[in-house]
Amino acid sequence: MIDVQLAALLCSGCFILVGLYAAIFLDNIIKKIIGISFIEEGANLFLITLAYKPKGVVPILLPNMSPDWFITNSAYPLPHALVLTSVVIGASTLAVILAIAMVLYKKHGSLSASEILGDSNE
Amino acid sequence: MDIYTMIHNSVKNFQNKLKKDIITNENVSSAIAAELTIVSTILISSILLRRINVMLTVLIILGLGLYLITNMPLISKLKKEQDDSLNKMMFYVILTLGILVSVVYWGVL
Amino acid sequence: MNDLIPLMVIIPIIAAILLNVLHGKNSLVKIVSFIIAICLPLIPLLSNYGLHYFGGHSPLIDNGDLLNSLPSFISNTNLSNLHIGITYYFGGLQKAILFFLFLLGFLAIFITINERKRSSGSYMFLIFMALGSVTAMLLSDDIFHMYIFFEIAITAQVGIILSSNDDQRYETAMKYMILGSIGGPILLTGIGFLLGLVGSVNITDISNAVKNGLIDPISPVFLFSFGLIFFGWIYSVGLPPFHTIKSAIYSKATPSGSAILQALSVVIFLSFGLAILRIYSHLPFINGFIIFFSLCGMILSITMALIETDLRRIIGFLAVGELGYLGLGFGIGTKLSVTAALFQGLNELIITALLFIGFGVILQLTKTSNINKLGGLIESHPKIAIMVLIGGFAMAGVPPLNGFQSKLMLIQSALNANFPELAIIMILISIVTFMTFIKIFHSAYLKPKPKDLTIEKSLVPRSTILSIAILLIICIVLGLMPELVVKDFSVFVGGLI
Repeated sequence: MIDVQLAALLCSGCFILVGLYAAIFLDNIIKKIIGISFIEEGANLFLITLAYKPKGVVPILLPNMSPDWFITNSAYPLPHALVLTSVVIGASTLAVILAIAMVLYKKHGSLSASEILGDSNE
Repeated sequence: MDIYTMIHNSVKNFQNKLKKDIITNENVSSAIAAELTIVSTILISSILLRRINVMLTVLIILGLGLYLITNMPLISKLKKEQDDSLNKMMFYVILTLGILVSVVYWGVL
Repeated sequence: MNDLIPLMVIIPIIAAILLNVLHGKNSLVKIVSFIIAICLPLIPLLSNYGLHYFGGHSPLIDNGDLLNSLPSFISNTNLSNLHIGITYYFGGLQKAILFFLFLLGFLAIFITINERKRSSGSYMFLIFMALGSVTAMLLSDDIFHMYIFFEIAITAQVGIILSSNDDQRYETAMKYMILGSIGGPILLTGIGFLLGLVGSVNITDISNAVKNGLIDPISPVFLFSFGLIFFGWIYSVGLPPFHTIKSAIYSKATPSGSAILQALSVVIFLSFGLAILRIYSHLPFINGFIIFFSLCGMILSITMALIETDLRRIIGFLAVGELGYLGLGFGIGTKLSVTAALFQGLNELIITALLFIGFGVILQLTKTSNINKLGGLIESHPKIAIMVLIGGFAMAGVPPLNGFQSKLMLIQSALNANFPELAIIMILISIVTFMTFIKIFHSAYLKPKPKDLTIEKSLVPRSTILSIAILLIICIVLGLMPELVVKDFSVFVGGLI
């Protein structure tokens, strides 16, 4: 059986690489933005994977649990809190980029990055 | 062709290379100043390599000096590389990321 | 009173939200933003030095009763030293930088209120949000907290660019966002590696773990995290290869907006730079990395500034190039050099703001920023010309102005640390900076006026002149009495190195 944590780590690495590929090589701005969101999700998946514990429990101390058992079996709660914040930030950044993409499309009638994001001095 | 003629010719070449802008005295003289700045600062900063190996530094400075002078004018090439196009910026960003991570990761092990 | 420490972040954010709600009510927006902006610089002055633990979560070792009630594998190990909540540290460095940052924010808001007939609540929102987020970055002892506020600051920066009326603003903002969306997650991944190694994102905890040998400083994961966080740092401050986009965003915003944008970059530079120094100071090659990128930044930016023809772009490149001095100070890594770098950062924050606002007047008057089409403005505006000239002297390091003091300190520290090459390069670059400045000053003010140049409205708002004068007075005061801030800075650095 595959180790879930290892699989998730590899998956997050693939997300980042695929996202970088899309952001660099694809010309359409919307596709670039999708690539960017892939990079963000890869980073988030990486963070959340750090908190994984095989057969762990949710880090909430219930009245019928003994503290020693809880300490050895609960997952690490900090990355969850961090990822929650970073997802929110990522979503708002994405909203701003998409809004700018809309304005650019209205202005130029095209979404080709090499056309509208080329050198402005030429 | 001696080195003096080469430098002289390269200064003359500036006018052709700066075609896009209006040619004024200021533009040409500041381009020459930029050229001299970049050559001198690169040569001086390569002296920093003496902390690694002195002989290597001497060789690198000689080679670099020859390379920089024979490839004048550098500044028009540099400007072309640093324009506002997203693709060029992205290329250098990814190049830096790749070099940085590989140097940090493998350079020390 | 330590309760004032979190208020430095909370008040700007609440003000931002309030002003966004008030958008449309013109005079109310003006009054509220003016009052809050003038009160902000007072908070760092009134607050006491100290630590603030959010939610009262101090480290267990400070809380004896609780510590004794816990099992021994917590109370007798390093776990008791961990910072559980977010910690803010406020000292002399933070006091000086925040005071001048808030003062600059006030001037920017003051100019905007007087310049525009209709005040935009959303624009005020952006300025306050940006100020609040970089304040949090400077105060915070938590690298993830810094990352979050860094992303907020970037979004606010993009908003400030979009609020100008330059033709190319959307394109530049889009490029900045795309590059930023690569840099930001890379930084986050680096933080993730640190979190995986140490189990904490608190900078003090991480550096304690390195010092006490809990983590191996040359383990591949630690090195990898250094590479990623360092990349995030060069993105956040605009060292190469990000110097082109950084100078482009400075040149697309309004003059007061550009002043704020560069101030944000300086504060982000200092806060992330100090964090990197604290976490990775044990790595042998970190100084070489910082020096290499700073040198590239200085050389490339200054040469690009020389051959540009757009006035605002030139100052943008000069601003990015000056950041190289800070980087060299951090890279040399002695106590004197880091103190000098912090002082240089403070000076740059003020001087570059002066130049952006001062040369911004030209754009308002003539509607062009191409230096080949300008000239002869000294006849109509001699006062501004002289003030901008002194500001340029300060940037180039002419005594007795503040730029001279900090650059002298940097050069001395380079010589003391056996880096004479760096001292020579610093002098060389400051000469070229001076030359670039004289070039734009000459073409805007001293050159004969071109026939086709029309001056649209000859009256410059008094608020702009007053702001330039205030910034100039700060330059002169800091130049004559550098010990006002340097003493505090060296105390802070003494605790660090």
